[in-house]
Amino acid sequence: MMTTASAITVQKMSKVFGQRKALDKVSFELPQGAFLSIFGPNGAGKTTLLRILSTLMRPSSGSAEVLGFDLKEKPGGLRNHIGFISHKPLLYLDLSAEENLLFAARLYGVEEPEQRVSELLAVVELTARRHDSVRTFSRGMTQRLSIARALVHDPQLVFLDEPYSGLDPHAVHIFDELLQKIREQESLERQRSFCMVSHDMDKGLDLATHLLILEKGKVVLFDQKDEIDRSDFVRHYHRSVGMGVA
Amino acid sequence: MSTKKRVSTFEHYKILLGKDLRREFRTREMLSTMGIYTLLVLVIFGIALMQTSAKIDIVQMSGGLFWALIVFTSLLGLNRSFAYEKEDGALEGVLLVPLDRSVIFLSKLTANFLLLIIVEAIAIPLFFLFFLSGVEMQPSLPLALAPLLVGTIGIAGVGTLLATITINTRGKDMLLALLFIPLVFPLLYACVSATTLAITGGDMLTGAYTAGLTLAIGYDVVMILVSWLLYDFVVSA
Repeated sequence: MMTTASAITVQKMSKVFGQRKALDKVSFELPQGAFLSIFGPNGAGKTTLLRILSTLMRPSSGSAEVLGFDLKEKPGGLRNHIGFISHKPLLYLDLSAEENLLFAARLYGVEEPEQRVSELLAVVELTARRHDSVRTFSRGMTQRLSIARALVHDPQLVFLDEPYSGLDPHAVHIFDELLQKIREQESLERQRSFCMVSHDMDKGLDLATHLLILEKGKVVLFDQKDEIDRSDFVRHYHRSVGMGVA
Repeated sequence: MSTKKRVSTFEHYKILLGKDLRREFRTREMLSTMGIYTLLVLVIFGIALMQTSAKIDIVQMSGGLFWALIVFTSLLGLNRSFAYEKEDGALEGVLLVPLDRSVIFLSKLTANFLLLIIVEAIAIPLFFLFFLSGVEMQPSLPLALAPLLVGTIGIAGVGTLLATITINTRGKDMLLALLFIPLVFPLLYACVSATTLAITGGDMLTGAYTAGLTLAIGYDVVMILVSWLLYDFVVSA
């Protein structure tokens, strides 16, 4: 992996679906160790941006470097260093919790995968259900397991695509605690970065070090949280996102 | 912090294949569906042939009937082989891993091939029981295994690629059939010809049997190579 001060550098990146521009010359730079919260109305291009940055989709034009890897040239190299938590768990529902994590750990080449899986199951408090099929899990339990799956290879950058979607309040609380625990643990060792798409303004604001608002595929606001007055941001947020549609 | 080792392409292949087979042998989703469907098609073929008043040379038709059975059954299985990959984004989880994406194709092809072989192992005795029970077996009959094997590899290969292409489309079942049957027509033609010759005991080593088998092998090599090369593009689109 290349050493770089930026976790993400995006320059004039666009994505076109047929006649529609999902992203329109998006540019921003996120330092390592930062937590970026991305806001925007439905259809603003938030998920498209996350999918491109996580190599699940190719941009139509422009360039981006993630952890020093050029997205177009070296997407394979980058995949070893990123994790993805979505509202979809990215798990095989007919396999057990342990089988899902072992499957992912072995694909990533994690040394001593059994030990790593046991550690992660303990972190997400699913050790007692390790042999149960994921299909029998509640939404909250599945989401906790999907966090463990995303962290199995110890990624340096974690993408979160509406991770709170469909969670009940108790599951949200557990998820928050878990996220906090991961951030505290890992920041002692190195600068793990996060990039989250969320419809929950308060949650996104609380977690973030940096904020970004997308509107009709364009960046209308990007800054450090400390540089932005909260009430100004809330006003901006409601003007952009409050409309409900891009 | 966990450490990582480099995973070879063959290791990735084994891990992906192991996952597909473990899941299938646990749920028996494809095997039970294809098995029951095979039985139903055999019964329908049997009823249809019983209704005919004219005397039909069933032996001459057997190669065609058998491959029709395999194509219908495999279509059902191929659709299911990707349905669970789509469920809850499991395939995306695999696409996030640093691996040669063509390995996903090879592992899925192998899993589909093995499951089709298991279904064929059930279908062949039933087929003989339904349609060829009173027929004298020819010494050339074991040669039918060659087109069976080559045809199944081709069906699994082309079907795996097309199932990936159609996974995100509306009406994917219909679209898979519409794309699959014309594309495998040369393979089917060759396999039906070679299988019928092996069952009827024609002049095996001249012309038709060898030509059919050669065509089928050539088809497999070309189509699987093309699918392998295209798979990264297809799965990333």
